[in-house]
Amino acid sequence: MRVTLTVRPREKPFLPIEAETIVPRNFLDGTDTTVWRGNRELPLDAVFSVSVEGNAETAAEVEVVMRGDTALIKRVGEYMDAGRIVVEGDIGMHCGNFMSGGTIEIGGNADGWLGREMRGGSIICRGDAADYCASGYRGDKKGMTGGVVEVFGSVGDFAAEHLAGGTVIVHGSAGDMAGAEMHGGTLIIYGDCTRPCANMTGGTAFVHGTAYDMLPTFRRVGTIRREGRTFIQFTGDIANRGKGNLFVGDCRYMD
Amino acid sequence: MIVKDVVCPFCGCLCDDVEVTVEDDRVVAVDNACTLGTSKFLGDHRLPGPIRRDGNGWKDISYDEAIRYAVDMLLDAERPLLYGWSSTHGEAQCVGVHMAELVRGVIDNTTSVCHGPSILAIQEVGHPGCTLGVVKNRADLIIYWGCNPIDAHPRHLSRYTRYADGFFLENAFRDRTVIVVDVRKTETANIADEFVQIRPGGDYAVLSALRAIVRGKTDTIPRSVSGVPREQLLRIARRCKEAKFGAFYFGQGITMTRGKYKNVRNAIELVDELNRHTKFTISAMRGHYNVYGSNEVNTWMTGYPFGIDFARGIAFYNPGETTAIDVLARRECDACLIVASDPAAHFPRPCVEHLAEIPVVQIDPYANATTAFCNVQIPVAVTGIDAAGTAYRMDGVPLRIRKVIESGYPSDEEILSRMYAMIQEVRSE
Repeated sequence: MRVTLTVRPREKPFLPIEAETIVPRNFLDGTDTTVWRGNRELPLDAVFSVSVEGNAETAAEVEVVMRGDTALIKRVGEYMDAGRIVVEGDIGMHCGNFMSGGTIEIGGNADGWLGREMRGGSIICRGDAADYCASGYRGDKKGMTGGVVEVFGSVGDFAAEHLAGGTVIVHGSAGDMAGAEMHGGTLIIYGDCTRPCANMTGGTAFVHGTAYDMLPTFRRVGTIRREGRTFIQFTGDIANRGKGNLFVGDCRYMD
Repeated sequence: MIVKDVVCPFCGCLCDDVEVTVEDDRVVAVDNACTLGTSKFLGDHRLPGPIRRDGNGWKDISYDEAIRYAVDMLLDAERPLLYGWSSTHGEAQCVGVHMAELVRGVIDNTTSVCHGPSILAIQEVGHPGCTLGVVKNRADLIIYWGCNPIDAHPRHLSRYTRYADGFFLENAFRDRTVIVVDVRKTETANIADEFVQIRPGGDYAVLSALRAIVRGKTDTIPRSVSGVPREQLLRIARRCKEAKFGAFYFGQGITMTRGKYKNVRNAIELVDELNRHTKFTISAMRGHYNVYGSNEVNTWMTGYPFGIDFARGIAFYNPGETTAIDVLARRECDACLIVASDPAAHFPRPCVEHLAEIPVVQIDPYANATTAFCNVQIPVAVTGIDAAGTAYRMDGVPLRIRKVIESGYPSDEEILSRMYAMIQEVRSE
């Protein structure tokens, strides 16, 4: 089954839409659902023009395609457990919150908290992702615990904060403090970043480019070869237990 | 008439030993207050009554008309923002939270642009804090990190730290050690025993290095960390461990610079580590006199201290999404009520530009930069001068703020209560 949601023009285009109901499983029972625009609850078809093709018996057989100005549609794919969501353009905050299965593919950029506290499944973002990509919620000790988030552009600050499991792959660069407080899982950054893995207690991170303002509390262990490249291996963060592994192509300290 | 033991409603110190001389319901002299507090008590040029924008000018309107305008504005909005709150009393803040819930708006206070990151850090790792009285009587080591109390909290040093004798410190100036950490040599640094100059943005690295040293892992620390020599770091760590009681005060030098709440978290974890060796506490140098109160009121009423979104009828909190700067910069809100604050003077340009495009009502005694962007302004009494109420000191101690004169202006609480009653009436229909 393929559900196509095309955003209708809005009188107040900057009002965010909260649409955690856009999850493949929900469309097994039809499209009679609601979304929120500011403090108003509206039927789905007041915000989207909806078309459905084919049938499905399980959520895994449902594909949701989102078109139009989707940049301010928040919480799409929240608690998703199966199926597929394809966003042709940009997507708003909290896409894929707590998802445990299925796939979300974003053609454009993703706003903050992409894949927040994700447990399984996969998210592919062809553009950039903003701050807190694959991170935890405020005050939580655990962020993402499973699944894969792959961003082909760059990510903002605090990517993979509190990472506890799963894999985060960033093909571009990361902002400040990627992998902060991480205690499990794998973070791979193909570009540069600043202050990676601050206060990490476990897990593994690779920075193929340069780690700027490298923290002084990572102990240099030696070098390794991986994927035809030489990495400097550190353990840290020794400001605490320091059992994480950080591999960087190059690094610069703030002397 | 001289009114004694007046509480100063300026900064988070809430100095409660101020003497105010009143003649004909006017404050004519102030003793014991700092220059900041004195200028607030002697403030003049209040707005005489409510005003409404009329073309390129203003016209006087009644309180009833102004309140009706504000109520209609909030009821019509799909995403109203209610911002400010830190310079008014707790009772008014309570009404504000009730009102935000009823109109399903976003309510935020000035915490989100000052010590919001401190609260985020506290939510992650807790807060080993204490009252100012404990510091005054016990602390033999004071650290001021990223703050300049001589300019921002002038009496903090004379009432609680550098110059304040305490129960266990007979000669504070001799017995207390004061360390100042900052990116530039401030006035406070001039009266410190040791000044640590950090490169801008280097606080996190220095805090991490200190944590590692306190844990005994000194071998990894390089010769210099963010401009601070290794020898100085070792000395600071030793001084902290050897202190009988240490107090760490921090300001926006770490909350509003790169890393934000991670800097504060690192500072708290340093203090946690030091508590394995001695007694150490950490507290924020809160700015507005009742910003701590707005966090308290919001937390006991909603579970969250600031940046609360009631759009769905329940409280949702996510600083960076539900905080005033973000809501304005993203042009989300379609109406704004500002209480006891001046965002136009402090917020980034895109936020102020959005304020200029939406209906705005300001409740404030004085004309200020935000006046230029509002449609209606409602003048009120100043808490601590012509209105009484409750405020929380920077260490979380609630104090009753007294009223020293009668002015005839309604208080924030009175105006907000009238608005709330009208909104309740409409909602119940």
